[in-house]
Amino acid sequence: MNPELQQALSNYLLAMADDELILGHRNSEWCGHAPIIEEDIAFANIALDEIGHAIIWYELLADLQSEEREAFANRMVYFRDAADFRCAQMVELPKGDWAFTMLRQYLFDQFEMLRLEKLAVSNYAPIAEAATKILKEERYHLRHTKAWVRRLGLGTAESHRRMQTALNQLWPYGQQLFEIPPAILLDVSDLQMVFQEQVVPYLHEADLNVPTQFGPLPQSREAHTEYLPLLLNDLQQVARLDMAAKW
Amino acid sequence: MTDTQWPRYMVLHQAKEGAPHQHAGTVHAPDSEMALLNARDVFVRRPDCISLWVVRADAIFAKTQEELALNPGWLESISADGQPAEKYYFFAKLTQKAQFTYIGEIEAENPLHALKIGLQQYPDVKGLVWWVFPADAVLKSTPEDIEAMFAPAITKDFRDQTNFHTLSILRKLMHAKEEIHES
Repeated sequence: MNPELQQALSNYLLAMADDELILGHRNSEWCGHAPIIEEDIAFANIALDEIGHAIIWYELLADLQSEEREAFANRMVYFRDAADFRCAQMVELPKGDWAFTMLRQYLFDQFEMLRLEKLAVSNYAPIAEAATKILKEERYHLRHTKAWVRRLGLGTAESHRRMQTALNQLWPYGQQLFEIPPAILLDVSDLQMVFQEQVVPYLHEADLNVPTQFGPLPQSREAHTEYLPLLLNDLQQVARLDMAAKW
Repeated sequence: MTDTQWPRYMVLHQAKEGAPHQHAGTVHAPDSEMALLNARDVFVRRPDCISLWVVRADAIFAKTQEELALNPGWLESISADGQPAEKYYFFAKLTQKAQFTYIGEIEAENPLHALKIGLQQYPDVKGLVWWVFPADAVLKSTPEDIEAMFAPAITKDFRDQTNFHTLSILRKLMHAKEEIHES
């Protein structure tokens, strides 16, 4: 593989892995606090799934860089500082209320579904295989979050208000998901258009309207919110107490 | 004060082709679709499911063997009254330890009628408790759901208690302590 291609692919895998890891960690914060016990179990499972997807992408990245898989994944998760992460800002934001969490997960799931469908036919076989595997779980995630978005959007005045507030806040951040590092391997240029064709009418059916005016969009994946270092402190502090410890 | 609990749904679970649906447990949900999704997450994290049904608990008509024995003439008093028949599912709890299990389908006019026909149709089934409920009240997963809802569990590692070292070490220590005590 030529160096330019390898670099582009590495960037792409890292961005995907970091998105999944940070969102998975955010979701795990609901463990023990979800609105009902059934949802607590369901959402903890989804959090675990997302972290599992992150590990799949980190391991492909390890292969690409001829590193040992587990050691590499551990290093990426526990021993990088915020500046070295390439996640979108949307997944860094604090978990907020249940409406915010469900809406963020819905936007991410729908985005991820469309991206995985493209990756599943990638010329790079390891990515195509991983995407095919992840796609199965992601279909279920999307069904779960779509069900919640619809019910909260059409529920009470209070649930609707919270959903619209969450949408107003999340929509601009959502645009950043598409600002993926340039990948030579596949064409994602129409991803944002297809995403909007799916999401806007679905939200509309749930009586939610995407904002047409919003402030400045998050810029590069190298820039992060103030929340990422705090999240990483939670995630990494135990591992960093003893870097040589075997777990 | 109003009851803020969501309704209860019974979850019926089929482990493999040819096996009967069996009662796996209960979930709360605002509607059947959410009940089915909750059922998947609560009861299908192990790779042994090909079909899930959910049915609202209050749609189930239940009778125990004792209730039937106390009032032997009661079943005879039930008769068809010419209403249109619909499909019912007939489940039984066969032992105290066993979960409710699927016995068969019945065409009947109402739950009482369904129970009567069920008992006549399956005279060899010795149930401790019987359930009948209309097929219409059930939301079922579809064969297309298997790939996304149930199949991913197959590739996951599951650990049982013995995989957790702290627990097994504690057990060994306690066991050793008892042995010292005894000797």
